[in-house]
Amino acid sequence: MTSPVAEYETLIVERRGPVGWLIFNRPDAANAMDATMLAELERAWLELDADPGVRVIVNSGAGRAFQTGVDVVQMSRDREAMREQSRRTRDATLKLTAWHNQVWKPVIAAVNGVCAGGGLHFVADADIVIAASTATFLDPHVSVGQVTAYEAIGLLRMMPVEPMMRMAFTGRSERMSASRAYELGMISQVVDPPEGLWDAAQELAEKVAKNSPAAMAATKRALWGALEQGLTDACKAGAAELVSMWGHPDQTEGPLAFTEKREPDWAPIHAGDHAP
Amino acid sequence: MTFSSYDFLKVERHGQVGWLINNRPEQLNAMNSGMRDEFELAWKELDADPAVRVIVHTGEGRAFQTGVDVTEIATDGQGFERYRESMENFDIRFTAWHNKVWKPVITAINGICAGGGFHWVADADIVIAASDATFFDPHVSVGQVVSVEAIGLMRKMPVEAVMRMAFVGRYERMSAQRAYELGMLSEVVDPPERLREAAQELAEKIAKNSPAAMAATKRALVGALELGLTDACKAGAAELVSMWGHPDQTEGPLAFTEKREPDWADLPSTPHDGADVGEARDS
Repeated sequence: MTSPVAEYETLIVERRGPVGWLIFNRPDAANAMDATMLAELERAWLELDADPGVRVIVNSGAGRAFQTGVDVVQMSRDREAMREQSRRTRDATLKLTAWHNQVWKPVIAAVNGVCAGGGLHFVADADIVIAASTATFLDPHVSVGQVTAYEAIGLLRMMPVEPMMRMAFTGRSERMSASRAYELGMISQVVDPPEGLWDAAQELAEKVAKNSPAAMAATKRALWGALEQGLTDACKAGAAELVSMWGHPDQTEGPLAFTEKREPDWAPIHAGDHAP
Repeated sequence: MTFSSYDFLKVERHGQVGWLINNRPEQLNAMNSGMRDEFELAWKELDADPAVRVIVHTGEGRAFQTGVDVTEIATDGQGFERYRESMENFDIRFTAWHNKVWKPVITAINGICAGGGFHWVADADIVIAASDATFFDPHVSVGQVVSVEAIGLMRKMPVEAVMRMAFVGRYERMSAQRAYELGMLSEVVDPPERLREAAQELAEKIAKNSPAAMAATKRALVGALELGLTDACKAGAAELVSMWGHPDQTEGPLAFTEKREPDWADLPSTPHDGADVGEARDS
């Protein structure tokens, strides 16, 4: 079941059952982010986050590329169009990813092809990452005189550091394969043949959608919040998230459904319900 | 040798190795109130015994640990309220880390490790597993939050794998082999029946090293999980320097030259209340 939403030029935003899909859709430009896409991303994340029918979000790309970062063609021809984005980059107020937009629903990145430079934002800021066997990862920033920062900083906390440093400094001269990304734990699943990626993502998302939305939102706040702090402080903040669910109806419904061998009927959550 | 009596744990010594064994096999070693209370006693007993140089933690039966005993939670009228005060103050005493045990701890995963069982994976220094061990976190599948144990694991291994387990809940299991590939553990023992033998073997290697140097090392490395890089290095440097002049630093090279095992100084018997390396050195 698909409810088409017409008002996006550069994205496809769809619902498939309880799964919201956010698909980069500039295949002829390797899904590079122009000013329009940059504006539409914020709107799309917020739309999917606000929809209680959406329990989990899959982020992927149309065509051969997943995401290749800011559109350098537009940047070189029309600086004015990118002015707002340059300001946000400077002020660290980007709104590209689910994390930037404080989306507390689980997000699965399904990397369908090349993921380059700024595309790594969407890998670093997803909860779960899977990839087609043909997907590749590279960071060409320094090859064009740009600095690698946010997206690599995120990944540094999430995976072995040396491969991220190597990617940052070899720039466009090397690519990491999906199977190496799997070995390193940057991603948790390689889909082969690659055409099966979206089916695999939907299948995984449907498993996630079976779990308590409120418990997942509190879990996501606890785990992402933990990346901000030292271990003990993070555990203290996490313990508060844990206790916050005690007495929630899902905590009765979950075990009851398990005993009665049926799917749980979870309480819906709404965007902002659990705003930190 | 068993010195103390526990209802839900076994505490044993095998040479210089202290063993702490979860012993509710019929309940998949789920932690009831009694087991929770015994954990604190057992860690402190093993930590206070100078003859114990390293601790192995494992389980009886087909599970390692499956977290809080939900049957007790559902039936005793008290439920999670039992844990509220300690959790709100983050003053829990389940693991070696919670109890400030500075001896090396090896967790030997003998079977299913689920949900709260990850506390003892996250808080061990070394983790090994039987080849048929499996890992999953069903918290969100029953309306519970994944928190403290995953927060610990996230500093020690690739984060995506922890997040996937957290959000997929009971609908997937991770194998011992994948946990090994990800660096969540460092040894898969096959056949699985050899697990305890392998753990004892590994523990005996560790027991050959200076207890005081290992305690300072553990404080430096575990402490580093609290801080930014430069601050962690500064605190680590203090731990390092604190051992200079310790008798083990003479004994170690001497024993090596004389081709014999070193005779290390024992750790002080109660290294708990804010003991620093200075006290270890005085022993």
